[in-house]
Amino acid sequence: MTSPTQAPAPAPPSLSMLVRTTAIALIIAGVILVTIVLPAEYGVDPTGAGRVLGLTAIASPAVVPVEAPGPADAALAPTPNGPLGIYAAAFKFDAFEIELAPYEYVEYKYRLEKDATMLYSWHATGALKHDLHGERAAGAGDGPAEQSFDKADRRQASGTLTAPFAGIHGWYWENPGAQPITIRLTSAGYYTSAVEIRSDRTRHTRTLRTIETLHKGDGK
Amino acid sequence: MIRITVAGIVAALVLGVASLSAHDNYRIIGTVVKLAGTTLDVKQSKDGQTVSMEMTKTSRVTRDKKKVATTELKAGIHVVVDARGDTILDLDIVEVRIVPAPAKK
Repeated sequence: MTSPTQAPAPAPPSLSMLVRTTAIALIIAGVILVTIVLPAEYGVDPTGAGRVLGLTAIASPAVVPVEAPGPADAALAPTPNGPLGIYAAAFKFDAFEIELAPYEYVEYKYRLEKDATMLYSWHATGALKHDLHGERAAGAGDGPAEQSFDKADRRQASGTLTAPFAGIHGWYWENPGAQPITIRLTSAGYYTSAVEIRSDRTRHTRTLRTIETLHKGDGK
Repeated sequence: MIRITVAGIVAALVLGVASLSAHDNYRIIGTVVKLAGTTLDVKQSKDGQTVSMEMTKTSRVTRDKKKVATTELKAGIHVVVDARGDTILDLDIVEVRIVPAPAKK
């Protein structure tokens, strides 16, 4: 008869082993801090590893297009036919008014497909910092994520815009002074949605009007 | 030995990756409540809420587009703060502009 043998209990790590393993972990953490965390979080790249790994771009991220909610109807991309652009649905129109408190800004943008057109007029009760620009939708071809079409201090503007790429297109307006400024925008076009982005980062989707609402009540 | 080393590597990776995150731009408009160390408290004009933000080594303080000392940030002056962070509770200051007081309605 043999008695069961018991495995010997593992010996606790010695002090020197604990010191060694702690030092190894700290060295690895330091390497990760210098090569990954600092370049990605703060753009500090003493070793150049962040640039090689593409991490420094995280510290200064490219502009990410803000996607307006998807349209309830089909995308309105024109089919060219000589001088005409033919659309599958009627255009919409919009009237937008906002009072900008001192030093506040707002962005107001429409979703347009590539080559879709809109026309607009806006005016303000004071001079504004202004940037009419577009933000490229994800997957809408190569090129910069954002493109300015008209960047200048203005009090009013009227024009047409043909979208050079699919995405959201519209205005950045900033009140540079200590007096409130009211902005009134009227537009019509082959857009499918609108979004308003305030300086506190809140976003509001706007309901656009269809041309049927123009004919209601005309008795014909 | 190996298990302890692996645990150390995993801990280091988790801590390193957790600190990587996207940031958003915020504009805070209001009056300075106080600047204590690197923390600037601003009471927002629109709702009276006080927002605490951190000054960093790259934060700028300007008046009329000219850089001024942070000691200019005295209680009660009007400022426009552009800051970056994940939420309004975690903001690093990019620029503090000292501006004239907004007109009262």
